[in-house]
Amino acid sequence: MKVTFPRLGSMHIFCKAIAETAGIPYILPPETSRKTLTLGVLHSNECICLPFKVILGNFIEALQMGADTIVMVGSGPPCRLGLYDLVQKVILEDMGLHYRWLTIPPRLTWQAIWKNHEETKELRKELSARNILLFPYGLWMGWKKMMACETLEQLALKVRPKEIKKGETQKRLKKALSWVDEAKAPKALQQAVREAKALLQEMEQDRSRVPFKVAMVGELYTVMDPHINRGVEQKLGELGVEVTRTSWFSTHILRTLRRNRADQASERVRFFEASKAYLGYDVGAECNVSIGEAVLRSKEGYDGIVHLMPFACMPETTASGILTRVGKDCDIPILTLILDEQEIEGRIQTLLEAFVEMLEWKRKAA
Amino acid sequence: MFYRYFPLWHPFFERLGWRVVVSDGVRQKEKIVYFEDSCLPMKLLVTHAMQLKEKVDHLFVPRLVSLHRTYIMCPKFRGAPDIVRLAMGRNVSIVDETTDLRKGGMSLLQTFQKIGEKLGASRQESKKAFREAEESFNKFQRNWMARINQVPTRQLFEMDVPTPALRRVQGCPEPHWTQGQSPEPYMVQGATPSGEVRREEIGSPLRVALIGHPYNLFDIDVNKDLLTLAKSLGMEIMTSDLLSEKEIDREISDLSKEIYWSSGREIVGSLFHFLSGGVDGAIFLTSFKCGIDALLQEFIKRRLKVRGGSPVPLLVLSFDEHTGREGLTTRLEAFRDVMEEQKKLRSSNVKVQSSN
Repeated sequence: MKVTFPRLGSMHIFCKAIAETAGIPYILPPETSRKTLTLGVLHSNECICLPFKVILGNFIEALQMGADTIVMVGSGPPCRLGLYDLVQKVILEDMGLHYRWLTIPPRLTWQAIWKNHEETKELRKELSARNILLFPYGLWMGWKKMMACETLEQLALKVRPKEIKKGETQKRLKKALSWVDEAKAPKALQQAVREAKALLQEMEQDRSRVPFKVAMVGELYTVMDPHINRGVEQKLGELGVEVTRTSWFSTHILRTLRRNRADQASERVRFFEASKAYLGYDVGAECNVSIGEAVLRSKEGYDGIVHLMPFACMPETTASGILTRVGKDCDIPILTLILDEQEIEGRIQTLLEAFVEMLEWKRKAA
Repeated sequence: MFYRYFPLWHPFFERLGWRVVVSDGVRQKEKIVYFEDSCLPMKLLVTHAMQLKEKVDHLFVPRLVSLHRTYIMCPKFRGAPDIVRLAMGRNVSIVDETTDLRKGGMSLLQTFQKIGEKLGASRQESKKAFREAEESFNKFQRNWMARINQVPTRQLFEMDVPTPALRRVQGCPEPHWTQGQSPEPYMVQGATPSGEVRREEIGSPLRVALIGHPYNLFDIDVNKDLLTLAKSLGMEIMTSDLLSEKEIDREISDLSKEIYWSSGREIVGSLFHFLSGGVDGAIFLTSFKCGIDALLQEFIKRRLKVRGGSPVPLLVLSFDEHTGREGLTTRLEAFRDVMEEQKKLRSSNVKVQSSN
C-alpha cells in the first residue's frame, strides 16, 4: 500500500508528517508544474474549475509513480468540490489507472462513518497494529507541523515587503520550511521552528519603509497555493506590499470541526456578518467571506484588495460581480484575478505592478 | 427556473389581484447587459430585469435555495436577487423570498404566504391563491408533453394559449410511455415556415430527448429556438419532465456519492435513462461556464466510455451569446442523419433476426 494525497501549498509537509510518523508508506506527488496542469487539463473539460484540474494532475502523476491509495478531502454542497471525487474516480478508471480511494468526510455523520468503514475495510488489512496505534500521534505531529508552517509563512508575509535584496525572503522561507519538513521528533521540530523564525527575522531589512497593506481574498485553493496563483503573494511582497490572508489550513480545518476558537473562526463570522449588506444568503464556499472581508478591510485602513478565483468558479463569480460594487461604495481598489491553466505569469506581474502604482498615487493624493 | 415554475407563480399572483408582466426576450446580442462575468442565463436574468424596471411595481426574483427535500440548487441562484438588486440600483422593489424546501413539507406554502404578505395579502388569501395555483400548475404539467410538441416556442408559457390535444391516442402520455410501446406514426403539427419536413422519410418521427436545465431548453435567447428547429426537422421532443423522480433515482442510485444539485440529478439520471434505450437520440444542452454541467458532462462522457458506449447517439450542445443559428442547424441536421442511420440499422437487424 502506498498512500498519496493532493498537493496544496505547504500541505504536503504535514501530510507527509502524518504518514511518516504512523509508519504508513506514501508517495509524495511531484511539485505542481506545467506538466501536472497539462495532464489535468487533458483529462477534463474547459469549464471545470482549476483546482479540479490540478488535483487530477497530482493524482495521475502520483499513480504513475506507483501510488495505489488516494486520500482526498471531502466537502459538502453547494460548491463543486464536494463532487470532485465522484468525477475523478470515473476519469481515472477510464484512463486505466488502478487506485483505491479514501475520502475524509467533511462532517462526522453516521453515514460518513459507515462509508469510511466500507472504504477502509480493505486497507485495514494491510495496516499493522503499530500503524493504527501511531496514527493519532501522527495526526498530532502533522497538526504541529502545519501550525509551524503557517507561523513561518505569516512571518514571511510581514518581512517580505521590507527586504533589501529582492527574493531573499523567499529563499529563506524555503530553507525554513525544509527544516520543518525534516524534523522528526517534537523536540527537533521546536528547535527547527525557533531557528527558522530567527532566520527570517535576521534578514537585512529596511525598517523605515511603510508597506502598503493588501488583503488577499477569494477561493481557498487559489489563495493558498503559490503554484496556482503564480506566486501572487510573493510578487506583491516584493513590490513592497504587506499581504494579509485569512485563508489557512487551520482556519478551514477548525471551521469544519466546528471549533469556534476565539481568534480565527470568529474572524470569519465577523466577515460573514459584514457581507449581509450585499448578500442576503449564504452563497457557499468563500463567497460571503470574500465580500465581507473586503468591506471590513476597507474600514480597517487597508490600501487594497486582491481577489483570486479560478475561471468559472460558481460562488466566486457571484462575489466578483458584487465586489465591483463594494469597491465603489467603500472606495477601495480591488483587483480580481481569474486564473486558469493559461500561462499568464507575465501578465499577472504587470497587473500587480500597475495595481501597486495605483496604490501609490492614492497614497500621495491622500 | 421561470420555465418550470411560471405556471405556478402566474396564477398565484393573478389570484392576488396583481397583473403579471413578463419581459419579452432580448433577441439581440447587443442588448445583453454584462454586469458580471457569469453564465449566459445569469446575464440574461439581469438583462430581463433591466427591461422590466420601468414597467412594474414589484420585481419577482425568488432566491431559490432548494426545491427539493434533500437536494439543492446551483449556488448562483442564491446570489441572484442580490446581483439583480446591485445591477438595478437600489430603488426598485424586489420580491426575493427565500425558497428552501429542505425545511419540510409546509415551507413552500409559507414562502408563498410571505410573498403574499409583502404584496399586502392576508395569510388566508395567500393560502387560497396558492392552492388554486398549485392545481392549475398540476394541470399544466400533465399536458406538458402535448404542449411542447405542438405549441410554438414563444407561446409555450403564455397561459391563455390552450394546449391542443395530442393527436395520438387518448389524451396525455403517461410517464411510462417511454418504455417499450412503439409510438404510432403521426405528423408533427408545429412545422415552421422554414422547415420542409421530409414527411415521406419519417415513418414514425425520431424521438429525441432534450436534457438540460429548463432555461437552456426553453429560453430562445439561450438556445436560439432550438425547439422549433428540432421540430421542423421532424423530431419529436421528450424532456426529463416525463420521468418520475423514482426513475431518475434508479439510474444514479449506484453512485459512490450523491449528486446534491437537484437539476444535476435530473440531468444525469434522465440522460442515463434515455441513453439506455427508448429514444432515437439524446441532446444535452448546456450553457458555457455552467459549473454544474461542466462537471457532470465530463462524468457522463467518461461513465459511458467505461460502460462501453450506449446504443443511443448523444449530442452535446453548449451555448453562449455568440452561438449562431446556422451552426446549430448544421449540427442538428447531421445529428438527425446519424439517428436515421442508426434506426435503419436497428430495424434491419431486427429483420435479420426474425428471418432466422
